[in-house]
Amino acid sequence: MAATHERPSAREIFSTLEYGPAPDSHACALAWLDTQDRLLGHYVNGKWLKPEHRNSVPCQDPVTGENLASCLLAEPDDVAAAVEAASDALGSWSGVPGGERAQHLTRLAKMIQKHQQLLWTLDSLATGRAVREVRNGDVPLAQQLLRYHAVQAHVQEEVLPGWKPMGVIGLILPPTFSFLEMMWRICPALAVGCTVVTIVPPDSPTPLLLAQLAGSLGAFCGILNVVTGPASLGAVLGHCPGVQKVVFCGAAEEARVLRQSLAGHWLELSLALGMESLLLLLDSADVDSAVEGIVDAAWSDRSPGGLRLLVQESMWEETMRRLQIRMKRLRSGRGLDGAVDMGTRGAAARDVAQHYVQEAQSQGAEVFQAVTMPPGSPFYPPTLVCSLPPAAPCAQAEVPWPVVMASPFRTAKEALAMANSMPRGGSASVWSERLGQALELGYGLRMGTVWVNTHGLRDPAVPSGGCKESGSSWHGGLDGLYEYLQPPGTPDQPPFVSEHLNYDNFGPAVPATLPAWPETGPSPVPPYGLFVGGRFQPPGARSSRSVWDSSGKLHGYVAEGGAEDVRGAVEAAHRAATGWERQCPGARAALLVALAAALEQRGPGLALQLKRHGAQLEAAQAEVELSARRLRAWAAQAQAQAQGHTLQVAGLRGPVLRLREPLGVLAVVCPDEWPLLAFVSLLAPALAHGNAVVLVPSGTCPLLALEVCQDVASLFPAGLVNVVTGDRDHLTRCLALHQDVQALWYFGSAKHLEGLLARSAASSKVKPWVSSHNPVSKKAAAQQMSCGQHQPLPLPIPGLPVRGMGFSRELQARVGEQGLPTGLGPGAPGGGPRAGAAGSMDQGPVAAYGGLMSSASAPVPRSRRGP
Amino acid sequence: MPPAVYDIEIRVAQTLHLIYSSPGEYWDSQCSEDEEPFQKDSLMNLTLAVRLRAGSDLSWISNIQVNQPAVLRRAEQIQARRTLKKEWQAAWLLKAVTFIDLTTLSGDDTFSNIQRLCYKAKYPIREDLLKALNMHDEGITVAAVCVYPARVCDAVKALKAAGCDIPVASVATGFPAAQTHLKTRLEEIRLAVEDGATEIDVVINRSLVLTGRWEALYDEIRQFRQACGEAHLKTILATGELGSLTNVYKASMIAMMAGSDFIKTSTGKETVNATFPVAIVMLRAIRDFFWKTGNKVGFKPAGGIRTAKDSLAWLCLMKEELGDEWLRPELFRIGASSLLTDIEQQIYHHVTGRYAASHDLPMS
Repeated sequence: MAATHERPSAREIFSTLEYGPAPDSHACALAWLDTQDRLLGHYVNGKWLKPEHRNSVPCQDPVTGENLASCLLAEPDDVAAAVEAASDALGSWSGVPGGERAQHLTRLAKMIQKHQQLLWTLDSLATGRAVREVRNGDVPLAQQLLRYHAVQAHVQEEVLPGWKPMGVIGLILPPTFSFLEMMWRICPALAVGCTVVTIVPPDSPTPLLLAQLAGSLGAFCGILNVVTGPASLGAVLGHCPGVQKVVFCGAAEEARVLRQSLAGHWLELSLALGMESLLLLLDSADVDSAVEGIVDAAWSDRSPGGLRLLVQESMWEETMRRLQIRMKRLRSGRGLDGAVDMGTRGAAARDVAQHYVQEAQSQGAEVFQAVTMPPGSPFYPPTLVCSLPPAAPCAQAEVPWPVVMASPFRTAKEALAMANSMPRGGSASVWSERLGQALELGYGLRMGTVWVNTHGLRDPAVPSGGCKESGSSWHGGLDGLYEYLQPPGTPDQPPFVSEHLNYDNFGPAVPATLPAWPETGPSPVPPYGLFVGGRFQPPGARSSRSVWDSSGKLHGYVAEGGAEDVRGAVEAAHRAATGWERQCPGARAALLVALAAALEQRGPGLALQLKRHGAQLEAAQAEVELSARRLRAWAAQAQAQAQGHTLQVAGLRGPVLRLREPLGVLAVVCPDEWPLLAFVSLLAPALAHGNAVVLVPSGTCPLLALEVCQDVASLFPAGLVNVVTGDRDHLTRCLALHQDVQALWYFGSAKHLEGLLARSAASSKVKPWVSSHNPVSKKAAAQQMSCGQHQPLPLPIPGLPVRGMGFSRELQARVGEQGLPTGLGPGAPGGGPRAGAAGSMDQGPVAAYGGLMSSASAPVPRSRRGP
Repeated sequence: MPPAVYDIEIRVAQTLHLIYSSPGEYWDSQCSEDEEPFQKDSLMNLTLAVRLRAGSDLSWISNIQVNQPAVLRRAEQIQARRTLKKEWQAAWLLKAVTFIDLTTLSGDDTFSNIQRLCYKAKYPIREDLLKALNMHDEGITVAAVCVYPARVCDAVKALKAAGCDIPVASVATGFPAAQTHLKTRLEEIRLAVEDGATEIDVVINRSLVLTGRWEALYDEIRQFRQACGEAHLKTILATGELGSLTNVYKASMIAMMAGSDFIKTSTGKETVNATFPVAIVMLRAIRDFFWKTGNKVGFKPAGGIRTAKDSLAWLCLMKEELGDEWLRPELFRIGASSLLTDIEQQIYHHVTGRYAASHDLPMS
């Protein structure tokens, strides 16, 4: 802009002391584009792929509108070619020792180091972001990521023996920050031996350059393939045979569409949605520093999205005044200028911001902008929107870049409530000089990452992810690796489902049942009703269904639960969940041990019932015995497992706490087989890790679960465990469509459930864990048990290991290292310990954890170096 | 009572009333005007009264919060966010020259090197270089010459010979350690003023800060203020020895409340001198003080500022934290000895396109 004016003389500048343009040359980026004749294709298998007869879109300089290059839009064939290249490369890449992969990643890091100027110039030129952020932030971080994951590749085989790479990973990137988002995800994937196909938006050439740099290393060409095209190609990518997992970063709406189109496929989908961040400013904060934190979070081109700002009411005036003065000093301008705070993100982002601000204004918000941009300017000024209560529609919507949406709160408790009532749970920062208060808020916030007195710090060793609608995928640290690994024992080729399914027909209502007789139930008969809220209650529909034994005789009646009962059960579970979460692990363990003892007391009766349902007596007795052991084993795990731990991260000032948190309320749909063992094996880990549960027991033999519930009623807090009997499909549907169920473990036909989830509104909310594999044949398992070789895994290993919302696989790693947990006995001879042996839970404990980054909250006097 | 003084009294009383009843409104009224409410010189004693009244309120320093990691982070960022190139760089560098307190504080200072320094102060940049930039008639000199009390006479004499009115600043009060008796420290100030120093750089007693005796510190600086009389008071906080950024903020505030015209980072003799984190805290204190009282207090980093690039970073810092109004010699100084040489070399490079040899530029 300023360059078009006549240059002022030194004399004028001397009196005004204005800043001038400080442009960086972008000649190197143009020269690189020239090597491609200004036509960017796809980079597949170490070569440029520029198929003919494709549509192309221009890649423009967002400031000047100058055409930098044309980008070919991929067609499904191109995606298929990329997947094929990745599949071909998979064998050699995953086959080589980790050390060799490490070497390759290190070479790539060096390659980036050699060409970093080109990289940052091209990225800033094409995206419009301030070059300072790319140069000082992104490019060094990209190298750190590669080096960190090279180390992980080196040690992975020792740390996680037997774990296998998932295979070909499909990655879909958002329009902004595509380069760094790509690095966060390809580094762990490549480190563990996966190969990647990435779909990048057409106007971001940096990932292509990066792929070319990787390709120029010579070896392992096909491990990183980049295809340019719209995010809608994600469905095509997911349908390509060989793709094991699709990782999506971007808008929630697109993710919903993608999930729907991929439903029913044996494919893991991991989502990272939304870009909004949150900042909590308390009255004990260093306000000036907090204002800098706000600038960091919203107006420095460091973070992709907007910021929601919550300020304690007593600090409101002062904060707003300081913030507005600070806003006046912010400079927007061409990204490749060394003296700007904020670049542009192109016309689309500007229009989104404009629309949002206009909407907010029309709903009564106050809007502050330090400068007004002329119409048609590519820039949008830093904007502060305030006085919009949460009930206004605009206050609920995601805050776009570069808007800060500020609201006051009265107390820290209220701040927590306001923050947690937002549907998004990505990242947040707490500003307070009181350490206790800051930590309490940090623990309380339902967020993937919480920083204390700083905002937006990232390190390769620190996992970051999201809660709630922000998605379920983690990157960074060990958690990032687990995203691309399969535990030992996972079947190699899960079946590929391609038929079209009609999900509307899945369990829409309870089928009518007729009474049957004579009833020859167990004696004493377990109480009739649904076990909800700590007692047996009659079902809402006041009807019942009959249970038949293996010889075809009527065994008894159980209550027929419906949507209303599910709702009641989930409510009861939520009431109990908070208290249970706060219990110390020892107290939880003690109750599980007590339940095990109670189960053993009931042993003979339970075994007889199992026998009636077709089990041999020894097998039935073994199942009861094993169930009790499982409870004890999980009790031990609950106690042994630390609640969280501190990460040593040199790059960040201050420690990082990695916390494990329960998910909340889990819905569990048990398999028909192993009615007692499955029930206990699913119940125990959920409880051990602090969750409340709503269970649907085995359809063929639900009475056993109800019998156990009599002991549960006397031991556990009311509402912690709820058992709803009835039509399995219908109940599953009800649970899947309940928005306030944090996870669903389902044993049955995955395609049905995935379909249901796709239809449910909060597609990213529930992380299903689905299995439709047939269990080990019952006979074989029973034989093993009778031989005293307790194969501890009669339940299926899921074909679809779900990386749950904050699912922790940490424990599994431990199982693999140290053998089975106490009480479960050794694995089959020669078989070695199996992951997931600690229960039916292949995924180990269920826990969400937030990384809590904390900077020292008080100035620390240093003895040597003064401040 | 003469009517003019009476009029001023009334205006001060009104100001005081406004400050105490609604400081925010007072500040806003100040912001809307470009100039200061009163002429500073004529009102020296009365604005002092305002400050002292304000200073009786120690709550200004009791509730402050300074987060060190966050300030360090801001300090890192601020240096990376502004770059100046070409004409802008040259013009800013010339501006930086006008902020320099050209300093020599050595045991071996004699008349001859003081004289050299004073002439360099008068002619900081080679004439032909200024001509090339069309700046030769701007009267660019450094802001002041800063020497030990015993050398004030020499400096005054040399500057008079050079025919300019560049002020002479003298360090005082047991510089640099301040570990002498209060009586001799005060006497030092009076003698320096008598010798012709119009600016006094006093150094505070760090022991008072480290033991938290803020009232005592306030009283000492007030006595310095009185001893200075008409001379400007620059208070050196010796931040390298204050222990924490919170202490830096508190000491800054006390120094301003006690009537300092400038607050200055360091003596140049501590192990850690002018650093960005410290400067950020001091500038925030200056801004807070301005918001509370309407008085603009100046800032002077000193020690360790040696390169032209450093000086630009300091100018940017001032502009970012306090705004353009603080970018004038009355409110911003840079204490330096070797900085001027580097700036001159950069100007030389800008004008000629070549790097200068040391014999191309006159020594100081």
